[in-house]
Amino acid sequence: MMTEHDKELQTFFHQMKEKNGKIQVPDFPELTKKSSLNWWIPMGIAASLALGFWFVSEKEPESGLQHDVIIITLEEDANNEMQFKIESTTELESWESSTSSLLTEFQQK
Amino acid sequence: MKNHWLETVLKDLHQEAFHWSRQCCGFDEDEAKDVLQLVYLKILEGKAVYSEKSLIKTWLFAVIRYTASEERKKKLDNTPLDQINDLAYKEDEPEGPDFPESMMLQLPDRQKEVLLLVFYHSMTVEKAAEIMEVSIGTARTHYDRGKKKLKDLIEKTRIEK
Repeated sequence: MMTEHDKELQTFFHQMKEKNGKIQVPDFPELTKKSSLNWWIPMGIAASLALGFWFVSEKEPESGLQHDVIIITLEEDANNEMQFKIESTTELESWESSTSSLLTEFQQK
Repeated sequence: MKNHWLETVLKDLHQEAFHWSRQCCGFDEDEAKDVLQLVYLKILEGKAVYSEKSLIKTWLFAVIRYTASEERKKKLDNTPLDQINDLAYKEDEPEGPDFPESMMLQLPDRQKEVLLLVFYHSMTVEKAAEIMEVSIGTARTHYDRGKKKLKDLIEKTRIEK
């Protein structure tokens, strides 16, 4: 494709190349560096979610009794006499109905 | 694996890519840097994908040319009407009679592009046509006309000297 007549143009572009050789070419940017930054997005979301769950579980209200409870029970002592037993507590892990004895005694009879 | 290979090839072509970007931006260095950054970003984000149908250099040069023309259009759209005439005058004005780049600026865009791709970047007219997104016949016409016009300009400068 190149002819003898193109030599003049070749010289022209050669001069241009020489002049351009003095131009400082910017450094090639780190392409992978930017992609590694993308990991921060899912990591940030995961961290926020974990923190959110922790706060939610932390704020769960404790189930306790609002007032002190007095438990009065009627028990039979060694002399077959009925005695009142009075207890005071802030926690109520198990509770038995005061009339449940009637039910059991009735069944026995 | 492919990304790493692409990065290595782009690194090798970086210098040539910068000069082509500069030539597409009317020899404006700052604009060329911005355009090249945008090109790398397009590649990184997968907006410009190398399909292996052509040589990687041809593909990269086509992306640069397209991005530069996009940016120039945007710039022109944002320029007030009264400044457009000043811009055109500034671009046509040669800095000095011997300065090769100012002589290139006197050629129409297509002629300038095909001559730079063939003579400066040692490509064939076929590859230049691919980059310029024109048919080989059209590229040849621009090539012949551009050579003639550039020779005339060189001759004219020689006589003036």
